[in-house]
Amino acid sequence: MKEPTHRRCVFFNSSLGEKMVDTEVKNRKVNRSKGKNEKNKEIPNPAVDPRDEGDGESTPEALPEELAEETVAKKASPSKSEKKKRSGGKAGAATAGTALSDLPTLAVTCHFNLLPMLLFGVALATRFYALDQPNSIVFDELHYGRYAGLYQKQTFFFDSHPPLGKQLLALAGYLGGFQGDFKFDKIGSSYNASVPVFAMRSVPALTGSLLIPLVYMIMLQLNYSQWTAALAGFLFLFDNALLTQSHYMLMEPILLFFAMSGVLCVLKFRALERSGNAQAHSYSLRWWGWLLSGAIFLTCALCVKYVGVYSYLLGLALVGHDFWEKVLGNLSLSKKQVFGHACARFFAFFMVPLMVYVGVFYIHLSTLVNAGPHDSAMSSAFQASLEGGLSSIVRGQPLEVVHGSQVTLRHAHGSPCWLHSHAANYPVKYADKRGSSHQQQVTCYVAKDINNWWIIKRPNRTDLAVAAPLDRISHGEEVQLVHGITGRNLNSHNVAAPASPTKQEVSCYVDHNVSMPAQDVWRVEITNREEIGDVWHALESMVRLIHVNTSVALAFSGRLLPEWGHNQHEIVGDVMVNQPNTIFNVEEHRYTRNEDEKDRQLELMTTDFIPLEPVVMGFWEKFFELQIRMLFISNENVQNHMYTSSPWEWLVLTRGIAYWVSPESNAQIHLLGNIFVWYSATVALGVYCSLLIFYLLRQRRQCYDIHEEAWNQFRTTGEVLLVGYVFHFLPYFFVDHTLFLHHYLPALAFKLLLNAALVEHLYYLTRLVFAKQFFNWMCILIVLTWMSGILMVFNKFLPLSYGLGPMNASQILDLKLRETWDFIVHKP
Amino acid sequence: MWWTLFGLILIATAATRFYKLDQPDHICWDETHFGKFGGYYINRTFFFDVHPPLGKMLIGLFGYLDGYNATFAFEKPGDKYEDYPYMGMRAGCAIMGALLVPLSFLTVWEMTFSLSAATFAGISILLDHGMLTLNRYILLDPPLLFFISASVYATVKFHNQRDRAFSFPWWFWLSATGAMLVGSVAVKFVGVFVVFLVGFRAIADLWEILGDLSRPVSYTVKHFMARALCLIAFPVVLYMGIFYIHLQVLYLSGPGDGYFSSAFQTHLEGNFLHNASTPREVAYGSLLTLKNSVTGGGYLHSHMHLYPAGVGAKQQQVTTYSHKDGNNRWFIKKFNKPTPLWNSSDPIELVRNGDLIRLEHRPTRRNLHSHKEPAPVSRKHYQVTGYGENGTGDANDVWRLVIESGAENEPLETMRHKFKLVHYLQNCVLSTTKKTLPKWGYEQQEVTCNPNLRDGAAVWNVEDNRFPRLPNVSFSAYKLNFLQRFLEAHAVMFSGNAGLKPKDGELTSRPWMWPINLRGQFFSAGEGVKIYLLGNPIIWWSNLVFMGFYLTLFAVKSIRDRRGIISSPQQLALQERALSACGWLYIGWLLHYVPFWGMGRILYFHHYFPALLFSSMMSGVVIDYLVESIPELLPSGIRNSAYHMLVGVIVSALFYSFYLFAPLTYGMSSGPSTEPNSTMHGMRWLETWEF
Repeated sequence: MKEPTHRRCVFFNSSLGEKMVDTEVKNRKVNRSKGKNEKNKEIPNPAVDPRDEGDGESTPEALPEELAEETVAKKASPSKSEKKKRSGGKAGAATAGTALSDLPTLAVTCHFNLLPMLLFGVALATRFYALDQPNSIVFDELHYGRYAGLYQKQTFFFDSHPPLGKQLLALAGYLGGFQGDFKFDKIGSSYNASVPVFAMRSVPALTGSLLIPLVYMIMLQLNYSQWTAALAGFLFLFDNALLTQSHYMLMEPILLFFAMSGVLCVLKFRALERSGNAQAHSYSLRWWGWLLSGAIFLTCALCVKYVGVYSYLLGLALVGHDFWEKVLGNLSLSKKQVFGHACARFFAFFMVPLMVYVGVFYIHLSTLVNAGPHDSAMSSAFQASLEGGLSSIVRGQPLEVVHGSQVTLRHAHGSPCWLHSHAANYPVKYADKRGSSHQQQVTCYVAKDINNWWIIKRPNRTDLAVAAPLDRISHGEEVQLVHGITGRNLNSHNVAAPASPTKQEVSCYVDHNVSMPAQDVWRVEITNREEIGDVWHALESMVRLIHVNTSVALAFSGRLLPEWGHNQHEIVGDVMVNQPNTIFNVEEHRYTRNEDEKDRQLELMTTDFIPLEPVVMGFWEKFFELQIRMLFISNENVQNHMYTSSPWEWLVLTRGIAYWVSPESNAQIHLLGNIFVWYSATVALGVYCSLLIFYLLRQRRQCYDIHEEAWNQFRTTGEVLLVGYVFHFLPYFFVDHTLFLHHYLPALAFKLLLNAALVEHLYYLTRLVFAKQFFNWMCILIVLTWMSGILMVFNKFLPLSYGLGPMNASQILDLKLRETWDFIVHKP
Repeated sequence: MWWTLFGLILIATAATRFYKLDQPDHICWDETHFGKFGGYYINRTFFFDVHPPLGKMLIGLFGYLDGYNATFAFEKPGDKYEDYPYMGMRAGCAIMGALLVPLSFLTVWEMTFSLSAATFAGISILLDHGMLTLNRYILLDPPLLFFISASVYATVKFHNQRDRAFSFPWWFWLSATGAMLVGSVAVKFVGVFVVFLVGFRAIADLWEILGDLSRPVSYTVKHFMARALCLIAFPVVLYMGIFYIHLQVLYLSGPGDGYFSSAFQTHLEGNFLHNASTPREVAYGSLLTLKNSVTGGGYLHSHMHLYPAGVGAKQQQVTTYSHKDGNNRWFIKKFNKPTPLWNSSDPIELVRNGDLIRLEHRPTRRNLHSHKEPAPVSRKHYQVTGYGENGTGDANDVWRLVIESGAENEPLETMRHKFKLVHYLQNCVLSTTKKTLPKWGYEQQEVTCNPNLRDGAAVWNVEDNRFPRLPNVSFSAYKLNFLQRFLEAHAVMFSGNAGLKPKDGELTSRPWMWPINLRGQFFSAGEGVKIYLLGNPIIWWSNLVFMGFYLTLFAVKSIRDRRGIISSPQQLALQERALSACGWLYIGWLLHYVPFWGMGRILYFHHYFPALLFSSMMSGVVIDYLVESIPELLPSGIRNSAYHMLVGVIVSALFYSFYLFAPLTYGMSSGPSTEPNSTMHGMRWLETWEF
């Protein structure tokens, strides 16, 4: 574009020059003379428009101010700008202000109102078309539908995403009469009449439709013409991925709706800040309204999925940038005023989001009061604070006691105590002068303690980690019990017990080399095997441990040990086998995973115990525990999923995701973008970045190729859309968990807006370069062709978005434009 | 004055670095790896390591110069060196490590031209036990840290030549930067962060030059070309040269062979693939070994043991096994015909792309089989078994051969072709998950049939091919050129690095623990002398404080500028000097620290030391700023003495803290620090320090 650009520049320069004489005459003269000197050497045309980079604010244009003024009643303002444009168009002489958005279409005002309405109408039609079809579980409806059901039942569940989106789904379900009785078992199973599919799917469908007028308004707010805004809406409307995602109970449309609303509000707020009389607007109702609603919407996005935090950061960055530029840089403001502004923004962007976030979780935790299937993700205390949680804790334990089981053995009758040992030996002589074995003490302890853990082991095996197949322990089999922390074996021998001299001492064996061999094998007798069966079960099986060498039973004697035994209960070997004090049961139960002793001890030390009775936990306690679990201990790593993709692949749409397939035919739902839209957006991204670098390099050399307004618009676009895209895309390169195509949608939204913006900018450049009207028409023609191409591709892939059928194999293969798209072909 | 201080620092450096260097006289920590690897360069044995070769080559060189003949086994930490000459390698590493101190001194000098800033920076590197300990042993860190700080020094020096563009020193420092960058990357891949730092600096410089309107654009282009030449082209050539030497020197088969592809192994003398010969094409009836093409992939293996009860069907196990073994051999046959005899006279039929085949395990005569049962570990895949009697099985033994990017009906070739085996009925691919099976599977690796046909691990190649009726060709036909070997070596290193994941529930060092010096690392924990890698807590914690101070100063200054508040020119000059130097050092710190947050790989404490270099240098600059500006606040009478007091207090505090913790580096007495006679009694300030 070199030659012609400069020809135009000469023209512009002459008209612009006069306008700006009063500002920085000296500078410019110097610049220009300099420019001339060297331009002669390198670039054929010396005439460029010399301006300083930062003086964009010195000549405020009427257009943005008007837009800002008319934020609420937005009908009037564009009509004004429309008039302006028209006059510019008629005049033919392109003045600086109008060349920018000077479209040759002579739109009348009513068009303006009609366009977003029209787009919204089409959006509703596409999003709500056949909404309850297919009447079966599609992809992640499996999770989100289930969660919505659990809300109806008020049953606690754990998910690593925040709850707002699921709450909205649940609310819609509730209004639709959902009782939560449907079991979401696997993708593809049919819904029954109890599930209000239409009502629940209408949440994403509605938010997905609202997205289109929203992006329309965002583009207007960025100073683009209504046609560009409509183009942005068009791209959103006819992207298959956004359609598919909005058609089922999924989170992305809700997330996008909140994120885009938030961005729009922040832009409206910016417009107030940047308007000529920012001072007057400060702290006005509108000012507060946009600021607060922006913060609230962005926080809502964060409350739908944590990736919403990038939208929030974008909003924060924009507000912060304006604060730096407009408030801090405004030397007419006093220190106090600056401080006041800082406080207002801090309140809006930190305090309000915190309140919203906590509020959403307050609803979450105060609704879900019943114990449910995911409790095991939480601490025992948390679980016990749920209705019926206590009994569900033990349900999560493995049932069958096997070689390598870690157990706590509870004395089954009378007061609760657990078989215990600790790193202290029996005293050599008791107070009554009797001697002991001086081996490690074994007691029954009334509190939950890590020293209550024992590992069940076969006498002939040395490894401890449990591996498939399980080596189950049954009635009559012989085992050893290894104390978890000290690693010593439960032992008994013919030595009098400390407090009950008639009974036999039980110890953890320490080899003192005094010809006292280890007698540490015990036989398991299950007393209630009639009901429970021969295999040792946790909790249910009542067990006696019979010492193999001496045939005594491990028993609770009821006496307390003195000071040296920390006043814990005595454990003895009793010849009276048939008595209730010899019965124990396994209460807490886990399989050993680590062969290494250190790791095993660590594992024991870091687990918590089942509380004895329901616990009352305050909201904050629950809230913080849930936060920690969600943010740091998320284990949603789907390994080896067929449809994973990497961030690079998203740019060129390498893979989709199979959402659902009809059992009767090859009709299926496959998440796949409109490949035409996605490719153009990727190209647009590249073109935008190259142009940006080009302009920056040229401006560094004091060469200004485009008008100030065009540059400002171009720059603002970058600040909002390019930065937004980078914020939503780049972090995915640094995360470790499995990624899917739908993770790209928030970034895609910004990319599509950037694409629309670039189209207008290119149109502007064409007008700048070519004088003839012919080229403008060419440009419009190209855009229209492009749009119809998009429509065609959209239409072609529509069956995959709606799951329309029946389809045969060749129809499916016909859609396989890329070799890497794995559609499901399971019928001829 | 300058030379006195610099000389003193040099002497102190030499003294601290070489004091008791021969202690402990046994293998410490990772010396067991790097000492061994260094030795391989001396006896020319090929090995595999996840890091590029330069560091180990240098260690090998140091050993060689000392007359080490690479006979010591370097078996495990704690083994005594006895009479083997290990001091050469240690001294070589210690010298590289010692150079850090003068280099940081000079770097800060070039950045600020303030003697006190340079001295403080030098001292805080000099007196840090972490830097000291890490740089005294046969490890990769001394060369890595050396090259990083040398790159920084060279680039700063280059920056200061900016008024003399295209002069000899300008060219010299520019190419020195490039060479040092190669050094850092070629020792460890984390060295790439300093490349980014230098890259940013180069872009910033170019931006400045472009903004100078008194020069034509061609001048900028000239600058750009010079940088592209010295910072991109020259380093790339140098880097490849290092690998060329690496691959040329190591020509003997060794422990690293198995990580590389069959074709790569044909280069290694002593490997059974070297100078071996097999038929080029695979015919029906050939006896094959199949190697998984994934990095470090094993051979398809089966043995006379069944899957235990409860693990899918109770049929014969199929695994991958990385050693050569008779159980790795399979006959290939048509899906509908028995194995043709080797002495039959029927026409030879070649195996072609798209054929339906069966594979028969030679020792047990069972067919490779898969069915709709979950695989033992990866429950979403199907189980693969050996099934049938004497070669007769069922329809589930049929596989379709798909050669990667092969033409239709193309005959399968040994080594050259990579292929997938697609199960005919289930439409899944034969794959290995590289997960280790439990005891019953002899800890070999799991083989499954993966329904995801795009599984990257599902690619196999024929390594050994026996069929007497076809002519043998030499394996030298499969040899790779240097570029292919270079690229493969990188692929293997990267996947090796990616494979270093912490096991489930394993306690690993996390990046947030590093700057606060939360937990160290035992270098030598056995009986006798104990060495513990831990930073000097005074230096580390004050580094954090100074970093916070820098950020505050930066923010305050930016806001003041923005609000148009004017400082005194003297103060301004001081601030400018400190802030511009700190800015780059801070970026350096960020670049060497932040990326670790996003790494899924297993991390260690010593990964923080490159970042520490930057933060220590920054501390030097900030301390200098403080001792210059604090006395300004005082009445003029006592300014001078206040300045001297401050300097004195800071320096003596640093030296005293060094003295306190010195036993960490030079050997603590054994026994816990709780005992009053321990050398570290009362020094365990944090519970998490394990001495």
